[in-house]
Amino acid sequence: MTGQEIIEKTNKVFEESFEIEKERLVPDANIFVDLGLDSLDIVDLIVALQSSFGVKIRNEEKVRDIRTLQDLYQFISSIKNEEGTKNV
Amino acid sequence: MKKYDHIVVGSGISGLTMSLLLAMSGNKVLLIEKSPIIGGSLTRFNKRGIPFDTGFHFTGGFHEGGILSDILTLLGLRDSIEPIFLPNSSQNQFIFESHGKRFEHPCGIENIKNSFKGYFPAETSAIDRYFEKVQSVCNRTPSLNLRENAIGPPNLEEDYISLDTVLRKLTPNELLRGLFSGYAMCYGVRPDEISFANHSRMVLSFYESIAFVKDGGDAFVRAFTEKFKDYDIDISCSTYITELADIRDNKVGRFVLNTGEEVLSDACVFTIHPKDILGLLPEKNYSKAFAHRISAFEPSLGLFSAFATFKPGSIDQNPDASIVSIFPDADVNNLLDPAYNGVPALVVVKSPNLGNGGTGKGICIVEPSFGEHVSNWIDSKRGNRPEEYLTYKHNRVEAIKEHLFSVFPEFRETLDFIDAGSMLTFKDYLCSPDGSAYGVKQKMGQFNLIGKLPLHNLFAAGQSSLLPGIIGAMMSSLIVGRAIVGKEHYGKILDGTLCH
Repeated sequence: MTGQEIIEKTNKVFEESFEIEKERLVPDANIFVDLGLDSLDIVDLIVALQSSFGVKIRNEEKVRDIRTLQDLYQFISSIKNEEGTKNV
Repeated sequence: MKKYDHIVVGSGISGLTMSLLLAMSGNKVLLIEKSPIIGGSLTRFNKRGIPFDTGFHFTGGFHEGGILSDILTLLGLRDSIEPIFLPNSSQNQFIFESHGKRFEHPCGIENIKNSFKGYFPAETSAIDRYFEKVQSVCNRTPSLNLRENAIGPPNLEEDYISLDTVLRKLTPNELLRGLFSGYAMCYGVRPDEISFANHSRMVLSFYESIAFVKDGGDAFVRAFTEKFKDYDIDISCSTYITELADIRDNKVGRFVLNTGEEVLSDACVFTIHPKDILGLLPEKNYSKAFAHRISAFEPSLGLFSAFATFKPGSIDQNPDASIVSIFPDADVNNLLDPAYNGVPALVVVKSPNLGNGGTGKGICIVEPSFGEHVSNWIDSKRGNRPEEYLTYKHNRVEAIKEHLFSVFPEFRETLDFIDAGSMLTFKDYLCSPDGSAYGVKQKMGQFNLIGKLPLHNLFAAGQSSLLPGIIGAMMSSLIVGRAIVGKEHYGKILDGTLCH
């Protein structure tokens, strides 16, 4: 999966599941401050990303460090890469 | 308009625990229950003078220092509820019909290990490693130690590995794997769907001790009701919330009840099914992602129960209380699969609680059941079910009888079958939306609905929030309740009870 695909798919989750306008989904956007999610929304976000990307995401430190959309893209990318390695 | 500190919705064991914990911290509590009586799955029913359990049959954790014992001590209820232990290993048996094997299951990890090693002499190291792993998970789960006023989210490696995967790595012996998975009927999830961690958290208390309770679930309801008198708790039955009103800053100010009454409350804790919680929240107050997450929860196992009694004058050849689990197949994944269409597993529960002045004895026989079994009649109402449904119930009881008599031929002459309950019966009587026995299915990696909800003075607890069964439901209330009352208040309760 390319970086661009990850960005598009992640943004789609924000648009469809959290009804956030496309224009606001810039890489620097802080998920909490700029996009208005709260800590409880994060669980719903994880579940939505899991089903969208077909991956398993643990509720762990790395998730709690995510602040911006860019952080999130990188996080998904690292999970996708790990999966890729496992499947080889 | 009446004003409370907290409203608790649902009066099963979780709601009772939550109400008492909140009140012990000095709060004024309103406990509301949709049914005409409190107790949820704890309630029993009487037929021909004999009490029968519906949802609560037996439990682990009642021994000295056991988790249930500790929870009840914390709540000041330990002396009000009397466990009846099963001292002989013959009182808890697993029968695997496919292999023609019968295993007695003692209590105490060392006893179980020794007994299993006797049955499987070639598997001693697998047996040791299995019990080590179970104990290790529980030791690393801080919320299982009530004396510690600290709760971390359970996030172990074992939370992401299925029971089935662990067992397959441990041993190629399918019969032993079946025996290790035997208690899956007590939490309602297939071994390939439950995490090894949650399996361990559930079964350790059963391994340590198994007990019936004198007067069954009624004993809990009675003990709580009696204790409530010492505190500021109002109970209102046949009552439910119809509207969450005056929502400001993501907080509900006013709660409208079906009785027409309106109450003010600082907070509200729901101990009901997550889907019923979702149904109450105004759509504009949650995201689609939240709705999808809740809607995607699957129901846990349901139970079809047949209730029988010993005919007058007949002799019960094995008079002790007992639990016998009869598995037609050692593959528990198969037995708990909705698509399975072979002979179902049976759990035969003979309670020590007698009726009719000590002369009437009841037996409860339960089989796994799934929504698919009753989906044709899901919209029918109690007392007005179609003929087809009655035929289904009748046929299922007849099949249970034949299965049971093949294992216990003496029951053909001595037992009288007097009632039965399907998932629809449980759905109606216990106000559970899908009639499942353990709320939401606890699938590996699932994010349960627990604690704060999208409206920030609303909270979720209950057996769907943490772990199923009486212990899981009570633990969920202690964890969420502790977050609500704060560490300091909870610490004071701890100091006054468990840690004094």
